[in-house]
Amino acid sequence: MNDKLNQILQKQQKQIEEPQKKEDDVVQLVGFIIGQEEYAVPILSIQEIIKPIEYTRVPSVPTYILGVFNLRGSVIPLIDLRSKFKMDPSKVTEETRYIVMKGKDNTAGFVIDRLTEAIRIKSSRIGPPPETIHAEKGLVYGIGMRDENILTILKVEALLKRDF
Amino acid sequence: MEDIQEILEDFLVEAFELIEQLDQNLVELESNPDDLELLNSIFRVAHTIKGSSSFLNFNILTQLTHHMEDVLNKARHGDLKLTSEVMDVVLESIDLMKTLLHAIRDNGDDTSIGLDITDICRRLDVISNGEEVVEVSTQSAEEATAPVAVDDNADYSKLSDQEVEEEIERLLKMRKEEDRKRKEGHAKESTAPAPVAPTPSAAPSFAGLGDHDESEEAPAEKSTAKRSGGESTNAPAKKESASTMEQTIRVEVKRLDHLMNLIGELVLGKNRLLKIYDDVEERYEGEKFLEELNQVVSSISLVTTDLQIAVMKTRMLPIAKVFNKFPRMVRDLSRELGKQIELEISGEETELDKSIVEEIGDPLVHIIRNSCDHGIEDAASRRAKGKPEMGLIQLKAYNEGNHIVIEITDDGKGLDADLLRSKAIEKGMISEREADAMSDKEAFSLIFRPSLSTAKVVTNVSGRGVGMDVVKTNIEKLNGIIDVDSELGRGTVIKLKIPLTLAIIQALLVGAQEEYYAIPLASVLETVRIPLDEIYTIEGKNVLRLRDEVLSLVRLSDIFGVKQVYEGGEHTYVVVIGLAESKLGVVVDTLVGQEEIVIKSLGDYLQGIEGIAGATIRGDGRVTLIVDVAALMNLAKGITVDIRATAETTVKTKSVPSDYVVLAVDDSAMDRNIMKKSMEPIGLTVIEASNGQEALNMLKSAEYSIDAVLIDIEMPRMDGYTLASEIRKYSKYKNLPLIAVTSRTSKSDRLRGVESGMSEYITKPYSPEYLESVVRKNIKL
Repeated sequence: MNDKLNQILQKQQKQIEEPQKKEDDVVQLVGFIIGQEEYAVPILSIQEIIKPIEYTRVPSVPTYILGVFNLRGSVIPLIDLRSKFKMDPSKVTEETRYIVMKGKDNTAGFVIDRLTEAIRIKSSRIGPPPETIHAEKGLVYGIGMRDENILTILKVEALLKRDF
Repeated sequence: MEDIQEILEDFLVEAFELIEQLDQNLVELESNPDDLELLNSIFRVAHTIKGSSSFLNFNILTQLTHHMEDVLNKARHGDLKLTSEVMDVVLESIDLMKTLLHAIRDNGDDTSIGLDITDICRRLDVISNGEEVVEVSTQSAEEATAPVAVDDNADYSKLSDQEVEEEIERLLKMRKEEDRKRKEGHAKESTAPAPVAPTPSAAPSFAGLGDHDESEEAPAEKSTAKRSGGESTNAPAKKESASTMEQTIRVEVKRLDHLMNLIGELVLGKNRLLKIYDDVEERYEGEKFLEELNQVVSSISLVTTDLQIAVMKTRMLPIAKVFNKFPRMVRDLSRELGKQIELEISGEETELDKSIVEEIGDPLVHIIRNSCDHGIEDAASRRAKGKPEMGLIQLKAYNEGNHIVIEITDDGKGLDADLLRSKAIEKGMISEREADAMSDKEAFSLIFRPSLSTAKVVTNVSGRGVGMDVVKTNIEKLNGIIDVDSELGRGTVIKLKIPLTLAIIQALLVGAQEEYYAIPLASVLETVRIPLDEIYTIEGKNVLRLRDEVLSLVRLSDIFGVKQVYEGGEHTYVVVIGLAESKLGVVVDTLVGQEEIVIKSLGDYLQGIEGIAGATIRGDGRVTLIVDVAALMNLAKGITVDIRATAETTVKTKSVPSDYVVLAVDDSAMDRNIMKKSMEPIGLTVIEASNGQEALNMLKSAEYSIDAVLIDIEMPRMDGYTLASEIRKYSKYKNLPLIAVTSRTSKSDRLRGVESGMSEYITKPYSPEYLESVVRKNIKL
């Protein structure tokens, strides 16, 4: 009797765990374009996405830090990913967005050229970052293989880490 | 388990409060050894701590307090005279007690720090035993009633808490009896009411004092319970009756901080509302709803201000919290240094924000130590100078506007400005020329430089040249100002001026080119408007002679690397900032005004940027950075831009026509060509832009100094009207001639042109001569 009960319980347990495992296998990302490339960050690390608003320049910081802006009463740094990735600057367009990302102890806004879509990708299709191609090695979490293109998945904690 | 934790926390809070009281009482007691009340309250503290710590199993603490209690008990009974030597030991044991309490707070037990108390216990024993033999004979009839008190220690330690309480009770009663007798003697009244009776239940048993026996137990116990209730609320029951006792509630600081943050948001909202109201008022002047809106806005702004003050007050603590430790410190120092020093404290009830109270302690310790060690002379040399042998240090706190001023005055030997100068030269801190130029007051401020000490000997009290540097750093952290004044042979006065609170401050908003910064008003001494030619250069530094002072100048835009968009006129604004003991003139382009701002952190990511203390959100929702005045002063040292020269090169005079630049803005290249051709005869330089945006960028970049702009109305990206109104937003382009050149001829078009800030309106087609003459007229050629 007891054995049977245990078996049933185990079975139930398995059923509870299994769908989660399946979910775990899929990573949910938000894709965006900077320059020519498509990048992505985990959806859960994004606090919100806003249209460009006015910001205030902060002196004596690297040029990729544009300044700070007011997000409903909080003062948040604004980082230009183009400039951080050493790409040529571009003008603000209708599609430019600020992605506000939240890490363990930091929050910052990042300027991107345009959003693409929410992406679900199997974690088996995410490979390690190639050692040579990217200058900002520490910032890349991995490369996502998709049917039509590849994605550079960024490490949010690294993006939010002060490096000056 | 949680219960124990809670009890432990309560115990610690209470114990620290009691100990603070204890220190002060003991010092007072030394000068007033016969004050029985004082002695009793000290005894009670030791006893309470002993009781609680034994309950919580802190054996070391229990043992220590127990031995202290012995000594105090003897003293209480008059078996022991409290000499300075005895006090030294008692005070030392209190220090150990503090150490143990700190250890308990940090580690949860009193054993882990391995403090050895056997020595101090032995010395306490020696005191309580040694004196005993001599004093026993002086015991009179009371001896019978208090056999335990003169018994040996082992016996005494076996006393239960209750018995000790009885002891206190007995003593109190005895005192009351004495009081009563005295009063009766005076009033000659047999039915005199019992004088100040904190324990009414004990009153009927007065008569039974002679035979302290079982019959008294019951009432005594009852009153004990009442009394200990009074103790825990930390108000001496002997002075006040329960009804007047102030009701208090302990609140976590975290909650107050949260409340303060919310108020901060509210203040920002209020500022924003005020700003919006101003805009609305302008637009809908005379409308009826404005009146109502006005009422709401002003009542909200009033309530917000009151609320802010109210919350600020909840965080206020009397400065007595800091001052209280100084009598003890000065006493110890005077004994150690062999000087006679008296400390006079006033204004200890002045209140300050909690965070400031915490920061202010260290600087004061250093200043007072300095006064004791270097300021006050020893008795012999004081006598020789005709001063009273007892040196006097005064510690005074009072409010002054939004600041609190703490004044430390000593009547010692004062500062020697010349000695300071020569020491500073010797150490290579200043050049001889600088030293000569220095006023005495500036020389006094040299004491705040690290590693400068005039002390001939380094004692373990001071003389290493560190202390005053600490003072300076801490006061700067609080945005405070230090003022030193001294007269050789007469004494020194050090004044610390500190803002009352840190979270919400008054600030002066200034503009540097297109950017705005907030300077804490606490650091602003004054603002002046000066002509550029009053700025001089000395050794590559810009200076201004302001009244009798020579003030270093630096441009805010140079410090923060603000892009130079436009040049100022012949005058400029100087904000004189002062911090700790130094001053600096900051050149800004505009003064916006004074505003109440809420300090917000820039977050971890941008923390610690030099020169920036934080940010605030203004009424219009924009972020404005707050200047860190201390860092600014440091940054200023590294800047060697000749303000006058750079200002003058940009305002170089134009003499020949080709020096004049006209900007032609038109989307048609042909039209631009026609304009260019028209200008050729008078030889003006013409530059071109194909749309409004481009033209605006050219104006902003300040690559050219443009004297007039010809504007087409219909253009892609930014039309002529918009361009004109954008240009007019810059104060330096307020008078720039803007000439509309357009085929739009209707009256409404012309009107719009005037509205947007055009100075002339020319309709196409036009003759080259006409255009030429209009331009000529406008640039006054």
